[in-house]
Amino acid sequence: MKVFRLDDIDGFVAHLADQFMVHNYLQDSDERPPAESPKKFFFTESENIFSFDGSCFREVTPAPDPFALVGVNSCDLTGIAYLDQFFADDPCYQARRRAALLVGIDCLSPCDNGFCHLVGSGPGVSEEHADLVLHALPDDRYLLMVCTESGEQAVADLHLETWTGSQVRQQRLESCIEQFDDFDHLTTGMDLLRKDAVSDSFWETLGIQCLACSGCTSLCPTCSCHDSREIVRGDEVVQQRFWDSCLFEAFQREASLHNPTGSAGRRIHRFWTHKFSETTVRQFGRTGCVGCGRCEQTCPGVIGVHSTMRRMAQYVDAGTNAG
Amino acid sequence: MKRVQSVCPFCGVGCGMELQVQKNCLSSVIPLRGHPVSDGQLCVKGWNTRYAIDHRDRVLAPLIRTQEGFRETTWKEAIAYISDSIKTIDDEMGSDALGVISSARATNEDNYAAQKFARAVLKTNNIDHCARICHSSTVAGLKRTLGSGAMTNSIADVFQADAIMVFGADPTENHSVVGGKIMKAKLAGARLIVVDPRKTRLAKMADIHLQLRIGSNIALLNAMMAEIVANGWHNETFIRQRCTGFDHLTHSIEQSAKQAEKLTGLDLNLIRQAAQVYSQADSAMIMYGMGVTQFVSGTNNVMALADLALLCGQIGRPGTGVNPLRGQNNVQGACDMGCLPNVFPGYQSVDDPVVIQRFSEGWETSLSDRPGLTSMGMTQASLSGDFRGLIIIGEDPVVTDPDQNQVRRALQRLDLLVVAELAMTETAKLADVILPAASFAEKDGTFTNCERRVQRINKAIPPPGDTRTDWRWLAETARALGSTQLHWQETEDVFNEMARLTPIYSGMDYQALAEHQGLQWPCNADSPEGSPFLHGDLFPTANGKAAFVAVNPTELDETADEEFPLLLTTNRLGFHYGCGSMSRRSPLLERETPPGYLFIHPLDAQELGIGQHEAIGIRSRRGYVETRAMISEDVAQGLVSMPYHFREAPSNQLTNNAQDPVTKMPELKACAVSVKPLPAGQGPRDIDTIRREEPA
Repeated sequence: MKVFRLDDIDGFVAHLADQFMVHNYLQDSDERPPAESPKKFFFTESENIFSFDGSCFREVTPAPDPFALVGVNSCDLTGIAYLDQFFADDPCYQARRRAALLVGIDCLSPCDNGFCHLVGSGPGVSEEHADLVLHALPDDRYLLMVCTESGEQAVADLHLETWTGSQVRQQRLESCIEQFDDFDHLTTGMDLLRKDAVSDSFWETLGIQCLACSGCTSLCPTCSCHDSREIVRGDEVVQQRFWDSCLFEAFQREASLHNPTGSAGRRIHRFWTHKFSETTVRQFGRTGCVGCGRCEQTCPGVIGVHSTMRRMAQYVDAGTNAG
Repeated sequence: MKRVQSVCPFCGVGCGMELQVQKNCLSSVIPLRGHPVSDGQLCVKGWNTRYAIDHRDRVLAPLIRTQEGFRETTWKEAIAYISDSIKTIDDEMGSDALGVISSARATNEDNYAAQKFARAVLKTNNIDHCARICHSSTVAGLKRTLGSGAMTNSIADVFQADAIMVFGADPTENHSVVGGKIMKAKLAGARLIVVDPRKTRLAKMADIHLQLRIGSNIALLNAMMAEIVANGWHNETFIRQRCTGFDHLTHSIEQSAKQAEKLTGLDLNLIRQAAQVYSQADSAMIMYGMGVTQFVSGTNNVMALADLALLCGQIGRPGTGVNPLRGQNNVQGACDMGCLPNVFPGYQSVDDPVVIQRFSEGWETSLSDRPGLTSMGMTQASLSGDFRGLIIIGEDPVVTDPDQNQVRRALQRLDLLVVAELAMTETAKLADVILPAASFAEKDGTFTNCERRVQRINKAIPPPGDTRTDWRWLAETARALGSTQLHWQETEDVFNEMARLTPIYSGMDYQALAEHQGLQWPCNADSPEGSPFLHGDLFPTANGKAAFVAVNPTELDETADEEFPLLLTTNRLGFHYGCGSMSRRSPLLERETPPGYLFIHPLDAQELGIGQHEAIGIRSRRGYVETRAMISEDVAQGLVSMPYHFREAPSNQLTNNAQDPVTKMPELKACAVSVKPLPAGQGPRDIDTIRREEPA
């Protein structure tokens, strides 16, 4: 990996803008992570998968112009890497993904609800998750790490100076990790979830608070549930795929009205199990949660990740044995 | 991608949302972090907003009725048709044979234009909207006791309350973000009392659930007050300094408290406990909904709640107050704008000569000082032939008003029915002319949420097809009728004219609203930053004091009997909104619930031989519907409950239109029904099929 010194961030973004449609998260860097993850750039909220005109079926594959997401945080890039696996064989996702240049940025201080350091998704950007990585230095300059060939091509004409400085990046990321709050409830909770050691009654009590708003799954960088429907307009039939949420009662309801996850308690149990269980780790090489903490803020039912884990930890503390 | 800040178009909470636009379409919405009401949260309806206004499901051109059905036409022809019909009716019957029902979903600007159109152009006070059937009893009951008919405090006050009493409301379903805040406050230590005949979500989390018999609100409130006085838990200083009528109240509550256990079905100890929690809390907040207002005793119910708050001095401070949760995004605004037959904008009476003069001068025209007809007054007058022309903006009374068959007959009898709508509705199907309306994302303006916060909405996408903002076509129709009263250039001009004539809005303009993330009325020279809570020093009454109004328990208009042995109440589901014309466009929301069901207690179901999800028929004195059974202990034995969102199985086939004598609020919350299982193998028929196969 090559490391350069970048003195002119605006020039860098302008240079990218000559080659790509740029979505610049650096502009709102005080709002971190951004209100929503960038997953909809690849897995769109709704899209037509194929159409039927009465005689032929046609696959609808997007052909986006090259675009660059600039200043993406490590949690969200980890989410994209996770979805890359989930949608490995999905032509729509992959068409958009191929058109994208990912420019990450290291986080240097904890954000409100984030805990990336506990789930291995930050605060520093993994070189495997981005084409280019920015690291802000104290003097308005940046380090620029080039991680992929696309990244190298994108900055080839910039004539940047190679960085020969010390291990400053590593030190500053470690110091960021030290600034995180004490998140004992999260370690306890994750442990309980891995062991599936939480009682059904605990989940049913929490389930009362799930309003099935779909806020957590909409904002979660790794949630990928979707449904599809047929839209008939005149002679044309279009198959549309759209975001779904596993917290809806009807998500798994069968035609007979039987439902293996008929109660809200069972649904949130499955949701959290899916994020943290060993099965997920085996399948994706990591937890399904990237520690962005967005669910904590957006959940009107006060059962985002911190609230849920805190309740679990209290159960254990109270000796009620969450199991 | 274009990003535009706006306000959610569903309920009255007024959550902030960012509209995301791609290729001139609303591609998605996300919640706004840092918003004073919702801070990064939305409910499931809000998250599904983009489906609600999808142009592919919309009415995109004016439609005019012909013998072969609706035909597309131009605005010019539609407006000519409307104005000609209006002129004919006016010539033959006079202006009071005409009226307007405006929309709690439209902006303040549209509503201001609608009432001005009725008053200054048609020359009638026949202007109303759906607050008639949700919170007209609030407006009347709180006005008489507290002097002002709106939420006294702010939503965020739940975090300053030591006790919260949720009375006849199901906020986690209907006002989800507020419901969530109540849950959060409860988890943080506030005591929660829930008064509801159903086991709502909050009831399941509450410290005390008073599962009273439906319709016994006053008996319960009087008993609570009697306990408070008997134990000396009332706030004597507050009563002495700030209220009148206390002696009369004490006498009355003593009388009715004796029957409390019998009428409410509750243990007096539990009532006492709730009375103690509420009265002894440092700050206690009442939040209430249609389980208070939608009764023939609706206004009295509201006054009894106000009495309780006054008795304990739980008003006029943060974390206290009497707080109606309003149903629609701008139902507060539609009331504020004077879309009510008895008041001009800002609740200024139409029969007050000073007010008449102010508006006559402001609008440069003569005005009627005769209070107009309510929405149901208009439908009744239509049946008797006294009322012939109605303009309905963004409402679907065929689905949402009581006694559907009568509403349908009344609307069919009109000579002119104009319906402005986003999409085809059951009411629009009866119209002579359908006007294609622009949605909230396609126009500028303001909404006022239930905590009196006036917020800007911003145009994000162009109106699709031939759709138009309501005030613009109202202005054009006015011109066709020879009036120049509605002569604005821009939406902001409408707001500025309104603010000049409406004292509670007088300190507001678009710039101030944007700078403050909305302002809460009253906002004027005295409180330029708006008013997070009301009644701090004085009540807005003639003597500055609040008035206790003693009320007695009233029986339900219809009680269970041999022929109709169950009581039916109505409820809402978190997934749907009103008549479903917006929420049912979402494949996710539509999938979540079947098109209608009836909640019934397991013992009642067992007795009637009804199994889970089985098809049933429900009959009342007024109509008949078929749907499926949802067996649930959330309803008490003897009580069944039906959501009103579904046109296929409309609860309003069954509901009673017996009315509150003060506000004409119908008793939507209770009527007697019989329930029978349908023969095995037979599914429920929708109402259109039933009407075809069994004409009344």
